[in-house]
Amino acid sequence: MRAAVPFIFYTSSQLVEITGRQATDLVELVAALKELDLSVVFYHVHHAFREHQFAPGVYTNDFAHWVGRELGEAVLAEKLANLNIKEYVELSALRDALVAIIESYLKLGGELRHAAAGRGFYFCKNIGVIQPTRYVAWDLDEFCSLLHLVGLRSLFFHFFEARLRLNRQSNDFSDWIKQQFGNERLARRIEALDPYIYTMDELRDQIVALICGGRTQPNWFDKVKIWLSLK
Amino acid sequence: MAKPKIEEYARVIRSQNFDEIMMLADKLAGKRVKMVNATAVGGGVAEILTRVVPLYNQLGLKVKWEVIKGTGAFFAVTKNFHNALHGSKVEIGEKDFAVFNEATEANLAEMDFTGDDYVIVHDPQPAGLIAAKEKSQAKWAWRCHIDTAHPQADVWNFLRQLIVKYDASIFSTPWFARDLPHPQYFIYPAIDPLSEKNRNLSRHEIDTVLNKYQIDRNRPLVVQVSRFDRLKDPLGVIETYRLVKKQVDCQLVLAGGAAADDPEGVQVLNEVTEAAKGDPDIHILALPPFADLEVNALQRAATVVLQKSLREGFGLTVTEALWKGKPVVASAVGGITLQVIHNFTGLLVHSVEGAAYQIRYLIGNPQVAKKLGEYGREHVREKFLITRKLRNYLLLFIALDHPGQDIIKL
Repeated sequence: MRAAVPFIFYTSSQLVEITGRQATDLVELVAALKELDLSVVFYHVHHAFREHQFAPGVYTNDFAHWVGRELGEAVLAEKLANLNIKEYVELSALRDALVAIIESYLKLGGELRHAAAGRGFYFCKNIGVIQPTRYVAWDLDEFCSLLHLVGLRSLFFHFFEARLRLNRQSNDFSDWIKQQFGNERLARRIEALDPYIYTMDELRDQIVALICGGRTQPNWFDKVKIWLSLK
Repeated sequence: MAKPKIEEYARVIRSQNFDEIMMLADKLAGKRVKMVNATAVGGGVAEILTRVVPLYNQLGLKVKWEVIKGTGAFFAVTKNFHNALHGSKVEIGEKDFAVFNEATEANLAEMDFTGDDYVIVHDPQPAGLIAAKEKSQAKWAWRCHIDTAHPQADVWNFLRQLIVKYDASIFSTPWFARDLPHPQYFIYPAIDPLSEKNRNLSRHEIDTVLNKYQIDRNRPLVVQVSRFDRLKDPLGVIETYRLVKKQVDCQLVLAGGAAADDPEGVQVLNEVTEAAKGDPDIHILALPPFADLEVNALQRAATVVLQKSLREGFGLTVTEALWKGKPVVASAVGGITLQVIHNFTGLLVHSVEGAAYQIRYLIGNPQVAKKLGEYGREHVREKFLITRKLRNYLLLFIALDHPGQDIIKL
């Protein structure tokens, strides 16, 4: 079945700007979180998903990572790491959630720990450069084949960034499938995927498996077809 | 060795990273960029510019690399600046600033920035060229390769009044950033996986180098590669080796060259040679420029690579070792901590004793050493290869054209 409107794969590149702000304990961390630009929150909770993950065991959000490693606050680190960014459609809500977790922890009244000299939290922000790729899908088979060719940052853009752009619990893939093919069940199943238990490669494979069944890699015919269409 | 074609990198990095470079470069085709630094040979900056400039040109940009000129007195002053920015106590007076300004004026008289779209000035030595900005149409960025986390105040204040005139600054890590009125970006330095220093070598090539320097293939080998500079703590390296040697019959290679802008190098080399005297298992190798094959072979032959720096901007020699899958023991300073994640991509240490302990541990546990090396290589593949740097600079050029925008749609 051919879509009336094709799916155009975009990609987002990232340059990192240093804000110059630093926190050395939890009080400073909360204060900065409340004051700094929301693109700071975006950067520190998302950037790990944009990079190839080659080994398990590292927290994906920088706040959890720093709190655990530099302050030795393992419990708080786990609470922060457990925050599911997929549940947030606005960065301000995500920021509020981070602040609430840290402030609740501070209320328990334990000793305020300080990072060693030079091991503070350095706040950075995201400068995103967005552009369309040359990959355009008109049907689901083509979509699956192209999803293997586009980069993980394209996956990130359509699966993670989309909810902040759309301001609702969805992603560009699910939206397109629902609108063009009326397949709400498939759209919901894609949206329900948990990005925290997969690497980005695995997440892509899961999406392709849901859409195209067992055939998760483009075959030689697809590759030739794509190659010819891009010439 | 012929310069590699940009397409050859597609075999080394993930395809998404390669595609992104091509797409971004497409948007910048024909743009004129000038890179300026202080030396054409020696040191990490010259090395990376040698590799990166031809690649930008293959991508369709028009990039020129120019090197400023200076007298011995000027480079002595800028070496002091370098040490002072790294946090060492250095005596600097008005006379030194005058020498710096004089050299800047001389270079300004000879250099032309007409027609450039972007000018990237590397490190403090050429920073004064910003005086040419008024007459140029270009966007100017200052690229700092130094650990400026704790600079000596008088030197930083002198440089700051130049740096503030730039449109942006670039630092190797967030903690090197300073209080500046313009955007400060962070871009990791990088190595070229296809260069003579980093390409794969055959067993024969490695053995030839080991034979040349009479290094025993059959005993553990600890290697530190870095220029002869006190901040690399070469005497601490020898002390470390002597502690290890008490337990393990090993050898040490301390290899490095001298950069044209580093007059202190000869003096340090003499001190190191003196300290090593009488021990045939310590190999002090003062390598000439372009001894990249030797460096590559020595790193690949190492049982453990050591980087015992007291201060470090980034530590590209660590990146090189990680890329070769070597277990690395390194000081937890500067940009090394971005590369060596303790117990994951290597081992971080804080003293001679710590370094000796971890070296002994890795020599005795080759399986652990192998695993650290494997993770280290993948860490470099994703973050510290020249292709990442290419991508980041392309993004920087785009960001310079869109000041104040967090999201740029092309």
